Amino acid sequence: MKMSKLTSEDAKSKTDEKYRHIYVIIEHFEGRVVPVSLEMLGEARRLMDDFNQKYDSAEKVVALVLGSNVRSLCEELVNYGADSVVYANHDELKYPRNDIDTRIIVQIAKDTQLIKEISPEYLNTFARPRYMFFAADNIGRHLSSTVLAELESGLASDINKLVISDLDIRHEHKTKGKTVRYEKILEMYRPDFSGFLWTTILCLDNKNPEILREYHPQGCSIIPGAFKPIDRDSSRKGTVIEYSPEGYQRSKIKILNRKVVEKTIDYDTSKVIVSFGRGIKDNPEQNIRLIEDFAETLGAAIGITLPLSKKPYQLSQTLDSKYMIPDRVIGTSGSKVAPSLYVAIGLSGAVQHVAGMKESDIVISVNTDENSPIIDESDIFIKGKLEEVVPLLTEQLKKQIQAISIRSN
Amino acid sequence: MLHVAVIIKLEPDFSEGNVSYNSDGTLNRAETKNILGPHSAVACNAAFYCKVRYGAQVSVGTMGPPIAESALKQAQILSDAEELNLYSDRMFAGADTLATAEVLKNGIEKMFGGNKIDIVFSGHRASDGETGQTGPQTAWKLGYTFLGNVIDFEIDLERKVVFAKRVISLQGMDTIIEEIESPLPVFITIDPSYRSIFNTVSQRLAANNFRKEASKRIEDTGQYLKILDGKKLELDPKLVGLPGSPTIVYRVEKIPRAKTNRKAEIVDPSNVNNLAPVIEKLIQISRGK
Repeated sequence: MKMSKLTSEDAKSKTDEKYRHIYVIIEHFEGRVVPVSLEMLGEARRLMDDFNQKYDSAEKVVALVLGSNVRSLCEELVNYGADSVVYANHDELKYPRNDIDTRIIVQIAKDTQLIKEISPEYLNTFARPRYMFFAADNIGRHLSSTVLAELESGLASDINKLVISDLDIRHEHKTKGKTVRYEKILEMYRPDFSGFLWTTILCLDNKNPEILREYHPQGCSIIPGAFKPIDRDSSRKGTVIEYSPEGYQRSKIKILNRKVVEKTIDYDTSKVIVSFGRGIKDNPEQNIRLIEDFAETLGAAIGITLPLSKKPYQLSQTLDSKYMIPDRVIGTSGSKVAPSLYVAIGLSGAVQHVAGMKESDIVISVNTDENSPIIDESDIFIKGKLEEVVPLLTEQLKKQIQAISIRSN
Repeated sequence: MLHVAVIIKLEPDFSEGNVSYNSDGTLNRAETKNILGPHSAVACNAAFYCKVRYGAQVSVGTMGPPIAESALKQAQILSDAEELNLYSDRMFAGADTLATAEVLKNGIEKMFGGNKIDIVFSGHRASDGETGQTGPQTAWKLGYTFLGNVIDFEIDLERKVVFAKRVISLQGMDTIIEEIESPLPVFITIDPSYRSIFNTVSQRLAANNFRKEASKRIEDTGQYLKILDGKKLELDPKLVGLPGSPTIVYRVEKIPRAKTNRKAEIVDPSNVNNLAPVIEKLIQISRGK
């Protein structure tokens, strides 16, 4: 295993910093760790290995897990990159509930005694985590918000790239217009809704003397599927620490019932997926019908691009509520798919969409513009208007299918 | 009396004809109109439901420049609000979610004369910013129990309790519908799939009457509108706007094209025969094992 091994003596020489480690908030479901949690651990591991080498330190990847019967998950988190796992085990914590989870995570983040077991060399100086990672999903999105609100620090959401660096910053408020060096800053890259722009967000202390204030941890929520977990290594060593919340308070939220709902759209088992984008705009209602007919002939599931989930068109209620919904979005903000065949109709291929479909075996696209990025992801590019190409494909398909069925009869 | 707040946002209008994209695929903000965001509209519907079912009083709030008044007006049409609040001050500019939540918290605390709100509704995220953080952060600062992704709810006025259904969908896992109960006050973000349904004749009648009332009210929005600046909201200037924002936008850049290992064969469909190999492939894969 590649890690910069420092003796605690070396580390002690630079123990003046109050903020240490990456804390990764783990999610689990029915006894399984949610994949994004392992992906976050993987990225935290890579960042921390580089960090320790660059800054000659021994900071850790600390996984936090709350639940009932979660002790058994802890070793697995070590296998996937955690140096330390802090777990809180209680029946009250069986399912995620924002109020109680927030309080316990904040307690753990501020708990300086835990540091005795995580990294004794930092015991006297540790105040808070340096960085905190959450999943950008139904649970982590809200949990990250409330935890960082309580810790009164900064949070960037839906991140798909992270870099740690030293930056010279000149900012009207943060530095009062002067250039100031900030060290160990997490550059948090966030793709915008169009998928064409990346915004880098920083969480910075106010160094302006008039509004002097420290903002740590630097927090972010991470898009599921954006990072790769490290290869599972069962020989990895880590410390597992049980945490008993102090001044234990019950959640105000009572869970009365939980039931699994059938997925209306299941891309995992779909062999063929047909997706469309803003190319339908000249006559959305009719074009969706054309695509519907085509997909049905192929036995394909139907997906959309993110901008379409913003309901840009006036459509009949049936088509609108069926297709223009977030559940159908393919891409980093929706589902990641890998069917045998992906047909991309009237969509340009924004990076955030491509990230969700590039693992497909074969990609066929229908588009008028040879310069649109989707061509780079296509095996076959049919250059033409979807209004003309799609019905033609459907017609030809139907003919062929009929011919086959006559033959086989 | 139940008091309900809605937090809304003026957002770019993504509907075709109103939205304008630059040639590189990015949003042209200067050319794109702004409207009441669709998620905010769903939150307004939830507040209107409270009005019809429980006789709630509704107050709407938004932080933004003076033009955000138009969003408040649209929100009043949907919710028949008794009170519209615009939190507007130059010093709020450039706020991140934490600094925005600070303004909204003080705003909500001042609605209907102060500390009356039982339920706050907001959309689950804004279409343009999309962080989804402002709602839960405002809830936390208010000390309200936060309920996210709510698709349906009922209120027990006597017990001062809300029953809600919410959806939890995690990567690679089954989707769960959770039924929960929580004492008021609560902060609810409403899932876009929420629909308010009025089952009985009397509910439908009441809904119609409130809609009529709303269309009257918007003729004289000024009567309901309060414009509150930092001073009126009793905000600490260090906690709002840029000074109160832990985060900054450091850089905006184009996302480089994804690396590829495919080489597309370009097919001209004007000759049907060119499509034959494509059809063959489609059939092969869709019918294959």
